[in-house]
Amino acid sequence: MKRSKLLSLVGFWLCISLHAQNKQLLYDFTEIPQSLIINPGAQTDFKWYAGIPTLSGLSFQAGSSGVSAYDLFAPDGLDINDKIRDRLLNTMTARDELSGTYQIELLNVGFRSSDPSLFYSFGIYNEGDAIGYWLQDYAILAIDGNVDQLNRRFDLGDLKTRGEMMNVFHFGVNKIVDRKLTIGARAKVYSSIFDFNSTRNKGFFVTRPGANNILSSTISADMQWRTSGINAIKEGNREETLGNTIFKRGFFGGNLGLGIDLGLTYKINSQTVFTASVLDLGFIYHSNDVENYTLKGDVTTEGLEVILPDALSNPNRDFWQDLVDEIKEIVPFENNFDSYVAFRPTKLNASLRYNWGEQSLRAANCDCGPNVTRGNRAPKYINGVGGQLYMINRPRGPQTAITAFYIRRIGNVMALKATYTVDKFSFSNIGLGLNLQAGPVNLYFLADNLLGYQNVLDSRYVSFQLGLNIISWGKK
Amino acid sequence: MLVKGVGMKVKVNFFLFSVVVMSIISSCVADIDFTQFDEVAATPTYEAGILYLEAPEDVINLVSGTSVFSQNFNFNAFSSDVFASRVIDGTITYVVENTTSKELEITVDFLDEAGTLLDTEVFSIDPQPTAIVQREIAYGASGRSIEIIKSLSTIRVIAENLGDNSSTSSLENPLITLQSSGKFRVELIK
Repeated sequence: MKRSKLLSLVGFWLCISLHAQNKQLLYDFTEIPQSLIINPGAQTDFKWYAGIPTLSGLSFQAGSSGVSAYDLFAPDGLDINDKIRDRLLNTMTARDELSGTYQIELLNVGFRSSDPSLFYSFGIYNEGDAIGYWLQDYAILAIDGNVDQLNRRFDLGDLKTRGEMMNVFHFGVNKIVDRKLTIGARAKVYSSIFDFNSTRNKGFFVTRPGANNILSSTISADMQWRTSGINAIKEGNREETLGNTIFKRGFFGGNLGLGIDLGLTYKINSQTVFTASVLDLGFIYHSNDVENYTLKGDVTTEGLEVILPDALSNPNRDFWQDLVDEIKEIVPFENNFDSYVAFRPTKLNASLRYNWGEQSLRAANCDCGPNVTRGNRAPKYINGVGGQLYMINRPRGPQTAITAFYIRRIGNVMALKATYTVDKFSFSNIGLGLNLQAGPVNLYFLADNLLGYQNVLDSRYVSFQLGLNIISWGKK
Repeated sequence: MLVKGVGMKVKVNFFLFSVVVMSIISSCVADIDFTQFDEVAATPTYEAGILYLEAPEDVINLVSGTSVFSQNFNFNAFSSDVFASRVIDGTITYVVENTTSKELEITVDFLDEAGTLLDTEVFSIDPQPTAIVQREIAYGASGRSIEIIKSLSTIRVIAENLGDNSSTSSLENPLITLQSSGKFRVELIK
């Protein structure tokens, strides 16, 4: 495979691996300590927990709202160029996205205060997130060109992308206010490793019949590409010190930001519970290793224009160079090192859950009433059903997903959660989460879009989360 | 009896756990052929204006003799690496319009960097009122050599007056114009 094609393929897969951060399986799955990360106001009964470093929380999600790898690369005997035209160029729109995110917990510890209504948790996780929208008009220009497209405006605003990698240092407080209400907040310090974003581009390219010549070409651009940390990463890669560079920038050697998560759990009645959380209300101030690129201006050209008698006044005039210089001057491609603020993609979660059935196994087994448990572990209904809402702020506006879920507890050793989610990626997203408790050892595995696992490469959305924790509920 | 019941539940739980884990582990990856990427080709066609030349009749009348105008124009758009290494074929379209009262001849020469003549196109055009010539010149497999385009460094335009130096057209603002545009197919992904 030639290098340019290989790079294009890598680029394609980078794009493919670039999704919404919906964690509908983990949300309100309160047997799992990591549920506190997506709702600091979740109702928990832990005495303390400690995640196994780097294994306590690992999540990966990738989604494409338009096409899967299988759509393009299935060995179906069709010409790849016909598939690109039919399934990309003629089907996808500028609102289709390729996105992804991953999260690796480096440290996650929680403990209950001497005041049992307070639970503290803190830790560090590494997160990467990126989104790129389908470059519709750029793709048409690249595959078909501008021929026979007189007066069509190719939208330069189709370039909309952002991505980042960072370490997040967090400290959360969870407070049981009363029997009905639990609230929580988590303060976050972001240590950005790298960031790029180009989300507010405007402009167009158009070919029209010329005023003098046969054709005129116009470009009107107001485009910006902002980066931080990219040069450091490149240099680290070149000098084979990439690991050190990432470590240093991830531990306060890059750019810093602040954020907060808020959440609550409210018992509407003994069996009905409402929860909500807002995550990553925050920003990162990029001032270190910043390099930005801009293309701004409006110019129309009809080629070389030689109009007598003026053109005769300077026989040595270089019309071509004058034209090139004029375009560069009117629509300059420039770079600068100006600091900038990048807001985090804020997420909103909410759920309404109805519980029923017997209380959980240990409580039930002891034959001593629903409010008595082994240790301090709170009794829970064995069944729960409800709906969840998820929203995330994206460059082309908020994205929404709605989820119906059923949760089933099997004693105190196992809990299962099944979800059906509808979002822009899929209408057939069925997920299943398993939480296993073996003594103090807690293991969970959550996988989304299970139907897609029949053929992962034909799936437009892949997501899984897993983790390993040590949990104590204390002794009664 | 109680112990037996708990044991059964543990077995059921283990069974459920195993089913979930195995169903996830046994997820499939169907055959996929990434070598198809070698067959990907992007050969877009781009078009744009090249050269516009305009000479009013009063300027033509000021020139004694037949040679109205001869000028070399540096034109490196086609010989730049980014274009020359990718162009496959294309067409240059000329439109020459004469609203003056005299017959004119326009010659367009393509020269390489050393000044060697690569290609020539001559337009003899009658006086107004029926004086429009449109011509499309193909380059590539079905036309002249595409190497002409790849090597083009200078466009020379020569205008000659085959009529007199005194008559004037009855039309408003009489002049001769040369319009041109290029339409080229390029191999964007090789």
